[in-house]
Amino acid sequence: MYNVWENALAEIEQKISAGNFSTWFQDTTLLHTEDGHVVIGVKNSFFIKQLQSKFLDTIKEALINAGVEVKDINFEIQAKVKSKVRPREVTAGPTQIRDTLPTIKKNPKNQNTGLNSKYTLDNFVVGSNNDLAVAAAKSIIDKPGTSYNPFFLYGGSGLGKTHLVQAIGNEILRKHPDYKILYTPIADFYADFVDSVMKGKGKEFSNKFRSLDVLIIDDFQFIVNKEKSQEEFFNIFNNLHQSNKQIIVTSDRLPSEIKTVDERMANRLTWAGAFDLQLPKFEDKCAILRSKANLTGAEIEDEAIEYIAENVNTNIRDLESELSTILLMSDVRGLTPLELINNGSVNVVHESKLKPTTPKRVVDKVAKSFNLTTAELKSKSRVAHIKNARQVAMYMLSEELHLSTPKIALEVGVKDHSTVIHGIRKVRQDLKLNFALRDQIAEIKGKIYD
Amino acid sequence: MEIEVLAEKLSKALNNVSRIATSKVTLPVLNNVLIKVKNKQVSLVTTNLDMAIIDFLPVSSSKDGVITVPAKLLADFVSVLPKETKTNISVKDNKVTIKADKYSSTINGTPADDFPELPEIDEKKAVVFKMSTEEFKKGMEQVVVASSNDFNRPALTGIHFYTNNKVLYTVATDGYRVAKKKLVKNVQSEIKVTIPAVTIQEVLRSINDEMEEIEISFNEDLVRFRLGEIEIVSKLIDAEYPNIDNFIPKESNIELEASREELVRITKLASLFARHGANDVITCETKTPNTFSIHSIANEFGENDSIIETKVEKDGKISITSKYLLDALNVMDGEDIIIGFSESVDKITNMAVPMILKNKGSDDYIHILMPVSI
Repeated sequence: MYNVWENALAEIEQKISAGNFSTWFQDTTLLHTEDGHVVIGVKNSFFIKQLQSKFLDTIKEALINAGVEVKDINFEIQAKVKSKVRPREVTAGPTQIRDTLPTIKKNPKNQNTGLNSKYTLDNFVVGSNNDLAVAAAKSIIDKPGTSYNPFFLYGGSGLGKTHLVQAIGNEILRKHPDYKILYTPIADFYADFVDSVMKGKGKEFSNKFRSLDVLIIDDFQFIVNKEKSQEEFFNIFNNLHQSNKQIIVTSDRLPSEIKTVDERMANRLTWAGAFDLQLPKFEDKCAILRSKANLTGAEIEDEAIEYIAENVNTNIRDLESELSTILLMSDVRGLTPLELINNGSVNVVHESKLKPTTPKRVVDKVAKSFNLTTAELKSKSRVAHIKNARQVAMYMLSEELHLSTPKIALEVGVKDHSTVIHGIRKVRQDLKLNFALRDQIAEIKGKIYD
Repeated sequence: MEIEVLAEKLSKALNNVSRIATSKVTLPVLNNVLIKVKNKQVSLVTTNLDMAIIDFLPVSSSKDGVITVPAKLLADFVSVLPKETKTNISVKDNKVTIKADKYSSTINGTPADDFPELPEIDEKKAVVFKMSTEEFKKGMEQVVVASSNDFNRPALTGIHFYTNNKVLYTVATDGYRVAKKKLVKNVQSEIKVTIPAVTIQEVLRSINDEMEEIEISFNEDLVRFRLGEIEIVSKLIDAEYPNIDNFIPKESNIELEASREELVRITKLASLFARHGANDVITCETKTPNTFSIHSIANEFGENDSIIETKVEKDGKISITSKYLLDALNVMDGEDIIIGFSESVDKITNMAVPMILKNKGSDDYIHILMPVSI
């Protein structure tokens, strides 16, 4: 077995100019040879005409020298021939040569993308906590570099940032196997950069990044406050963005909240908006656990899932680790997960059930957190600071105690329940962008149940 | 080789052909224009190996011969010359001398041997259509807007021409919208081919007011457009075109009529906000008895709500991409537009039923927009 067409091409290459060879023969394939009838696949009719009128003799001679019987040569248009796919193999037998129709390999390049193929969109559970981000991700997979560029994704640890961005990378790679994609945590980016500068290969480093189609930077909050390296990232960022290459960045907070980030950089990162992953709600948590359990093929009762979902209030990572622990124990002890839970063998600990609290306590703690007295908070004052505190109190009463809006109105001293509705909506809106507020509310929450 | 021609005419011809002379590094001769004189007929030719443009240039006097010259350079030189100047081009030892009154320059040419042979239409087997350039231009501008530039789906980067019941249709889609136009009624031949959208765009650029008729000839893998002195030969796209008629809704539950001008205005207003918000999405809504509204929102800037008063018989809502709606309205030519949509899922394709736009009183052109789910 040997490769006839490769050999013929090698001979043709010697005979004609490099320009002619790469223009006319680059995308050719030997489709078929039987009883001296040779069929060569080319890109379009322009190629047929040129090869027929100028290179027919050259091709014939080269094929004969490669051991092929040639009576006539025909050309056929093969649209799917891509420049990156090399000429095909043909098997040469003693009397005649046969060829099977070519298939294009799915992923011609075994590129080092830094992506882990286990992260896909299929195993990412979509819920109200992340549906916006997932919708954006899908649109990026559809048309990389157009709609959300840069795509900035933020949220606390263990909420699925890495999973989502790696899934984007994997899906794009599946759709466009020839795309150059790189996933790198920002810390590795700097390590590489410093290394390359020390070895005097700064140019190579920047070229490597500039040739990418998709750049995924994880854990951006660890960006280093070193002018030189931040400038390099900034340049690469601009370069890719200008040529409409997709940039994806994750962080645990907004860029404006990261002290080490240059202001220009921070602005640019959120040009196309910022998407956050929030803590999953109870139903979402159940869905995540169910999908995880299905993935491992283990059996678990709905009640057991609900128990775990109710008791783990930190993040998805803890949720999953709790589930694996229980599944492992159930395997070892031969009891079902629910039996284990019911006989008290497992103790789910992550921020376990909250103590009951009272509306008064909530209002007191909010007031204290805003350096106000409870009376001040409940006053009719329209001073912005006091108003804000009042609105946070409304929000917390609604979120934590699920009070009705008229009741909340009574608790915080406003007349109208529509004021309460407005207040709650405003805090919800603010929470999306205001990280400090989010921290403050988390802190108040801790004190309420303390 | 020698030709003599007015600078203005030469400049126009060179502009027509030099656009596609590529800077393809592997074969430098593709930068060049081939100038060929045979029996007093002068032709200027360029190609990018996907298509070729040929301009037949009427000249006052000529001597046979052939040469290639860098196309952009020659075009730029001639374009600066005073219009009425007699320009003389002659070749000696591959040096091309251009003389025009007091101006003269010599450009290094390349022998024509390296210039690719161009494929030709086999007239005997060709399927030929003729139509007025005006109709062709209008029709093409209306469909080409919906074509895709994603080369991973080659079929969609083309304009599909097909005959059905003696009507020649053209269609384009990028997967998010479809534009379909009845181009010629009462045709005798049958075809089913896909022409690259870039070729169509090149043909559109070549059309000027003096050209009255366009002739399109198809072979199995080649198409040729003839307009006036210009011929454009292009490859066809060798990929299966999707069956578009599956996506065209048979009927819409909700239908309304509005002036195109007003629709363009409220869509533009909405797009100002939509492009800053998520995905350029706007929401169209009907409310009985007489309101059609477009709503858009951009969290950081604000929102927009514009209405048109028109008769509606049913309440409904659909979200679409504002750019696509605007593109469609901009290429449509009726004064009044009929918009139809449904709030349901198509049983065959299992997808949401798209919005359909038509000119009032004519079924010749339809534009389909896929709804966005939000």
